[in-house]
Amino acid sequence: MKIQELAERLELKAATKVFDRDVTGVYISDMVSDVIANAKAGDLLVTAQAHANVIAAANLVDNCAVVITQGKVLADDVVKMAEKAEITVFTTALNRWQMATKLYEAGIR
Amino acid sequence: MRPQKRTAKRYEMVNVRPGYLMIELENHTLARRCYFVAERIPPLEEYREGNRFWKPQTAAQTIQFDVRDTDTGEVVPFGELAGLLYYACCDKDSAVYQMGDLAHDQRVSLYVAITTESEKGHTPMPVEKVRILNTLFNERLTSPGKKVLILPDLFGLYRKITYGQMAVDFGLTSME
Repeated sequence: MKIQELAERLELKAATKVFDRDVTGVYISDMVSDVIANAKAGDLLVTAQAHANVIAAANLVDNCAVVITQGKVLADDVVKMAEKAEITVFTTALNRWQMATKLYEAGIR
Repeated sequence: MRPQKRTAKRYEMVNVRPGYLMIELENHTLARRCYFVAERIPPLEEYREGNRFWKPQTAAQTIQFDVRDTDTGEVVPFGELAGLLYYACCDKDSAVYQMGDLAHDQRVSLYVAITTESEKGHTPMPVEKVRILNTLFNERLTSPGKKVLILPDLFGLYRKITYGQMAVDFGLTSME
């Protein structure tokens, strides 16, 4: 499934431009060191963290996009950093568990 | 936890150890040092070492790892790696930021390997080990044309940055 289609189905709000690519998995973590060690290229990263190093980690491991949960807002410089790295960032009011449930229901395994 | 599986990749991250990056100051000389401890709780108490008194300033959750060469079975330790610093987390006026910004135009993402620091200073990661890191992370990429370039800290960034600029986790145990 492509990022854009998934975002529409899950009613995610884009905080950056959308750089459409395939979603091949999901990784849920709030630790950038954990993301660096364990997330895979193409994974959608779901996290409650909205700081710059989330983008640094997602870019390093080639995550397809990031979903920031619990209604957190990205700073303008983080948005610019993500767009430069062509990392799509979405926000949602849902928490990580609710997001995980919706992703599963959408067929992302 | 993902199941381990065989891959055709040259390098794999092994012996991943969770712990803390400790940053501490000596009370009298104000010497700074930074090192990794594989503890469940960061040791934040002041302590004496000879005639010196070290006071931990902060601790960041992070990992240490080794890298295994799947061709030879050799395991290369990366215990000196404090963290990776993304160019975009540096000061916009810095040389690293400007180099990284130019590199990104060619789809190359620039990171700097920051090493741990003793009171005598720090030693940049040897180039041969940085080559291994570059292969390790580039083998994981799937986006066409995307590249990661990790450099040793030949810029003395460890003196100019705060450790919070690196890809480590400060303050997670007190997350708001």
